[in-house]
Amino acid sequence: MDNIKKLLEEKNTANAKLNSRRHFLKDCTLGLGGMALGSLLGSCFSGKESLGVSGAERLLNPLSPSAPPFLPKVKSVIYLHMVGAPSQLELFDYKPELVKLNNKPCPESLLKGKKFAFIRGVPKMLGPQAVFSKEGESGNWVSNNLPHFKKIIDEVAFLKAVHTDQFNHGPAQTFMFTGSARLGRPSLGSWVTYGLGSENANLPGFVVLTSGGAAPDAGKSVWGNGFLPSVYQGVHCRSKGDPVLYLSDPKGVNRTLKEKLIKSINDINLKEHEKFNDPEVLTRINQYEMAYKMQVSVPDVMDINNEPEYIHEMYGVKPGEESFANNCLLARKMVEKGVRFVQLYDYGWDAHGDLEATSLTAGFLKKCQMMDRPVAALILDLKQRGLLDDTLVIWGGEFGRTPMQENRIGVGNLFVGRDHQGDAFTMWMAGGGIKKGVVHGKTDELGYTGVEGRVSVHDIHATILHLLGFDHEEFTYQFQGRPFRLTDVEGRVINEILS
Amino acid sequence: MFFLKKYKKLLLVASIIFFISLIFNSLRPKKIISYTADVKPILNSKCISCHGGVKKNAGLSFLFRDEAIAVTQSGKPSIIPGSAKKSELIKRLHETDLEERMPYRKPKLSEKEIEILTKWIDQGAKWGTHWAYIAPEKQNIPKPGKSFEELNFLTNPIDHFVAVRMEDVSLFPNKPAPKNLIARRAAFDVTGLPPEKNIYNNFLENKISYEQFIDKLFDNLGYGENWASWWLDFARYADTNGFEADRTRSIWRYRDWVINALNQDKPFDEFTIEQLAGDLLPNPSVDQFIATAFHRNTMTNQEGGTDDEEYRVAAIIDRVNTTFDALQSTTMSCVQCHSHPYDPIRHKEYYEVMAFFNNTVDSDHNHNEPRLRILDEKLISKSDKILKWISNYGSKDEKKIFERFITFIDPVYYANQFEVIDKNDAYFLTSYLGFRNGGQVLLKNANSLKNRVLYFSNFVYQNGVTITFRKNSPNGRVIGKVKLDKDKSPNISTEGYDDQKVTAIKIPKIEGSFDLYISAETSEKIKKSDVLLDLEWISFLPEIPGKNKPGYPRIKKQFIELLSGTKFSDLHPVTLENPEHMSRKTFMFDRGNWMTPKEEVKPNVPSNLNGWDNKWEKNRLGFAKWITSKKNPLTARTIVNRIWYQIFGRGIVNTIEDMGTQSEPPSHPALLDWLSYEFMNSMDWSLKKLIKTILLSSTYRQSSIISKENSIKDPDNVFYARGPRLRLTAEQIRDQALFVSGLLSKKMFGPGVMPPQPDGIWESPYNGDQWVESKGEDKYRRGLYTFVKRTSPYPSMTTFDVNMREVCYVKRIPTNTPLQALVTLNDPVYLEAALAFANLHSNKPYEDAIKDMFEFATYRELSDDKLNSLINLYNDSSDFYTKSPDGLNDFYLENKKVSNKLASLAIVASAIMNLDEFLTHG
Repeated sequence: MDNIKKLLEEKNTANAKLNSRRHFLKDCTLGLGGMALGSLLGSCFSGKESLGVSGAERLLNPLSPSAPPFLPKVKSVIYLHMVGAPSQLELFDYKPELVKLNNKPCPESLLKGKKFAFIRGVPKMLGPQAVFSKEGESGNWVSNNLPHFKKIIDEVAFLKAVHTDQFNHGPAQTFMFTGSARLGRPSLGSWVTYGLGSENANLPGFVVLTSGGAAPDAGKSVWGNGFLPSVYQGVHCRSKGDPVLYLSDPKGVNRTLKEKLIKSINDINLKEHEKFNDPEVLTRINQYEMAYKMQVSVPDVMDINNEPEYIHEMYGVKPGEESFANNCLLARKMVEKGVRFVQLYDYGWDAHGDLEATSLTAGFLKKCQMMDRPVAALILDLKQRGLLDDTLVIWGGEFGRTPMQENRIGVGNLFVGRDHQGDAFTMWMAGGGIKKGVVHGKTDELGYTGVEGRVSVHDIHATILHLLGFDHEEFTYQFQGRPFRLTDVEGRVINEILS
Repeated sequence: MFFLKKYKKLLLVASIIFFISLIFNSLRPKKIISYTADVKPILNSKCISCHGGVKKNAGLSFLFRDEAIAVTQSGKPSIIPGSAKKSELIKRLHETDLEERMPYRKPKLSEKEIEILTKWIDQGAKWGTHWAYIAPEKQNIPKPGKSFEELNFLTNPIDHFVAVRMEDVSLFPNKPAPKNLIARRAAFDVTGLPPEKNIYNNFLENKISYEQFIDKLFDNLGYGENWASWWLDFARYADTNGFEADRTRSIWRYRDWVINALNQDKPFDEFTIEQLAGDLLPNPSVDQFIATAFHRNTMTNQEGGTDDEEYRVAAIIDRVNTTFDALQSTTMSCVQCHSHPYDPIRHKEYYEVMAFFNNTVDSDHNHNEPRLRILDEKLISKSDKILKWISNYGSKDEKKIFERFITFIDPVYYANQFEVIDKNDAYFLTSYLGFRNGGQVLLKNANSLKNRVLYFSNFVYQNGVTITFRKNSPNGRVIGKVKLDKDKSPNISTEGYDDQKVTAIKIPKIEGSFDLYISAETSEKIKKSDVLLDLEWISFLPEIPGKNKPGYPRIKKQFIELLSGTKFSDLHPVTLENPEHMSRKTFMFDRGNWMTPKEEVKPNVPSNLNGWDNKWEKNRLGFAKWITSKKNPLTARTIVNRIWYQIFGRGIVNTIEDMGTQSEPPSHPALLDWLSYEFMNSMDWSLKKLIKTILLSSTYRQSSIISKENSIKDPDNVFYARGPRLRLTAEQIRDQALFVSGLLSKKMFGPGVMPPQPDGIWESPYNGDQWVESKGEDKYRRGLYTFVKRTSPYPSMTTFDVNMREVCYVKRIPTNTPLQALVTLNDPVYLEAALAFANLHSNKPYEDAIKDMFEFATYRELSDDKLNSLINLYNDSSDFYTKSPDGLNDFYLENKKVSNKLASLAIVASAIMNLDEFLTHG
């Protein structure tokens, strides 16, 4: 509640102080001249502590926090995306009927009018490659591939009948993260940071963490700013090299010298401002100061060594490696520091069964092991810190998998796998504003299509925006003459999973 | 005198009547309501979202007059022209029942708004035309007050137009910017680089005039490079295909064509026609074909399982949208799904425009076919020989057919046009058909045009594979058959035609269209799953003439050889029109969805714009002539407005992407029309003349200092009482750093280059492409030559607002962020430049070096306070390296050993290269 109060207060102050560039110049520039670098802008602006948000602050820092139009349920988002689309049939969507049909030829009725990425001709049906049980007080189903998940099963709300109209990775991911299958639209995280800014001036507002050895198929467009200003683009924090591109000081230069360099730049720029009176110069001065601070705060938040041993144990992290576990812990640290949107991408879930690494009985199990423990740890850790109520955690893939076994170009694979399926798959959400332990949506006996409570990608987006305090139909950006929405002309808030 | 007397009475009567009517009128003012100025803004903001192009609630729309006065679902019309009293619209505005009052559940319209609508209906509810849909006319140059003359402000007509608007708001222009600053500003606006020192000095020393200085800038080939970046954003030029695999596309010759066309100052109408329809011009040159790649910059999807037709349609839609975004400032994309929400463009008109574009050969093929084959010398001599043979023994038409085939491998039927009969023994994958034993595929409505030779590209995996061609049914008449053995070369390369194998067989003369069945069998013992054959395309061609002449078999063989052997980088995607027998029909799509086609449409242009001239061809070429017609109201205005935006950071119509009814009104309408009219007429569509005219104006040459008064009266510089002061573009920032440090390469053209980029940026799946750092001078080329990968653009340039070029971008949104500071402070590209810059000045006493560096970089004198600040930085740095000399062993770059002085100068150089005065154009 404190948080909501704070956001409301922010909003009121923001409205009261609807400052134009002129006001800003009048209120804040007088007396700038004599100040030292450290407190150059301190009188008007400071990082997390400042409550007041003004138009002027957005001019100086486009990521300064701003309150949403409606009462928000959460203030940050952690989105866990399993790149390649994990099989719902081996994790959450238990289909006993499919056991009976195992290895039988697929009925023609299931194939008619359908298109697949790789299945050709008549494939065989494939029973669940896992053992399922009902867990927790909710008694919801989960497979033995996810033993740790059982601990948090009562925290999450399942969406069992999500559907997408794309069945190839690239377009489906682009659709899942920008609301359009074609490139060119802003990503979900960009929309959110555009709308809300960041709580921490010294960290990017929208952070992307990748694991699994490759970037998502759709490339950087899934965290791209599209037509929004580039400042709202996701910042890829990397495990190797600079955590943020060009973050570290040049070779042979230390912090003191760097500080002097920036002071010199800002001193001269201040003189430039005195002469030309261009507010952009002041913005630039502020950006150089922020850049200097980011150089310290980003490596600090990216360092998991300073976390206690029990936390390392809980997540199963190995410092210094690029792993999904490390990224889950980083996500928690970032949310704690006020990062608005943390997007995780874990590559390697495309279990076709054409190789051992993509087999549901080999490579896929390894992926489950690597994912299960840190995800459970993340939820529990957020909870024990009281952060879960302010955070929305989303888990999912870009589509689901077929109840048929993949038979690459009509022949059949050496290993067990499933092809892409857009018609029905499982996602879940947990955290602030989410009903605990509920299941929304149901698939048919084979998990092939949704029969109840179907929700679209646009519905997911509408729900996320709703929890952050936006009406997805009103939250628009004017581009090339017309207003654009994340949800295009669709989307419905999934009230069934809201508390 | 007599007459006068006689008329005196009459005059008196007349004047009395006149005065009475004057009094009468003043008592009952009968102001004519303007539809465009008064009514349309109310309709757009209050009514049209429910009653317009998107929604027609209650059967009512205010988009067109015929719709607005038509009978609605209630059985009566909403507007009865001439009678507001009887008009339901007005009743509903006054309604007290909130469920009945309009706008529905929204605040009541103001008294004034209702009054406007009432009067307008009483006056006949006349519709009007939005200003931007009326072609610009010749403008009279206005005369501002004397004070502007006294201030020497009125250099050219632009200043007259700007001055009269300043008078309106009681503003006065700034003083001219000092020569050093205007020289640098103008140089960036023309060439994208600071001025060369020799012409700069000549100008400072009054050896050449300002105009001569500007002329010299235009002679610099950097002009084409600078403005190409501007155009390439509209053209969505990139070096990859986009989507998942995002593989390399070899289309850089188009970028080079743009640079050349700009440098040659190709008139903008020709520039446009060649890009939209160069292939349809009479006897097009190679360059004109290259230009047509403008619309081949659409993305292609090479992922398995995607429907080529879906992405072909997506590309065509993108071409329609891009054409209107780039050239018409019209949000045509709105009309894909329904009539335009605000502008008078009907849903059907979108598809009529699409019909112009819908008949091109390309259809989301894996290798971006059709492509112009740039033949090497060996192939050219072969080609010459064959074409000479054909000229000698055949007709002109035959020569044309073979020439087209050699140049483009066109026309062909591609694998994606076939249907697989039984999915168990044949399949289509990305770009080819695969056959297992007994597999069969079908091409509906094939037409051989009575040609007697069938060519097909194939790769055979087994011995003794019989390929059979049948007519009209799976077991129909055999029209051709051939037995082939295993091919030795590797599979058909994804890169191009290098190892393509083509086979030719004779077929009978077939009249009209037929269904072609192709099957493959072998009697060899193989596994059921073994693939026999891949097939990528087939084509029907006439027999090569000269059958009985000596050397004929060799010519036939050489012709087939000629169809392969071109390198990937020499295959350039082009726009080509399908021949008549392969042409497509165009349908409207229900709600814009390609899966639900509705009625068929024929090519036509939107009726809100200039009409069609029947002398134009009813194809893309005619469309290009329509868009570049002097009667088109939007083309010249669009270009003028966008050039103005590039130079002033603000459009005369500030919504530079849209001049429709939702756009901001022009700040200087007469100036926009004067420039647009003169651009088409006295300037003959010359971009150089247009830019020069702007640069010569006093408006442009003003100092950019913002006075207190000016910042309060005109914070956004709408009235141009000061000069522009813009941050440099991403390319300019990079190019300038390399320029001042002496590293910049002057090399022009060629495939995209790869300057240093941090490791691990390119991680595309299913794609072995690597960022391989360019060597030698290619490391230091101008920014516009940097390889553009759509899903992973060059990071330091994205930080400075370069877009991803997936679709047409009209505007880069300038941002000012900490990540930008990190680039120019820490990116090795900038560190290398700072070090090289310091090195150029390191043999001077350090104070001189600092002064010279500052002045060389910024074209300004170094004031004492700034000098002191930099000297302090130098001393701090020098002290630091005296105490910890270790930093000098690896200074800025790996293994770079430097002296304390050089390191300290490089630190100062970094400071200078991060100054606002360095990063903006002053």
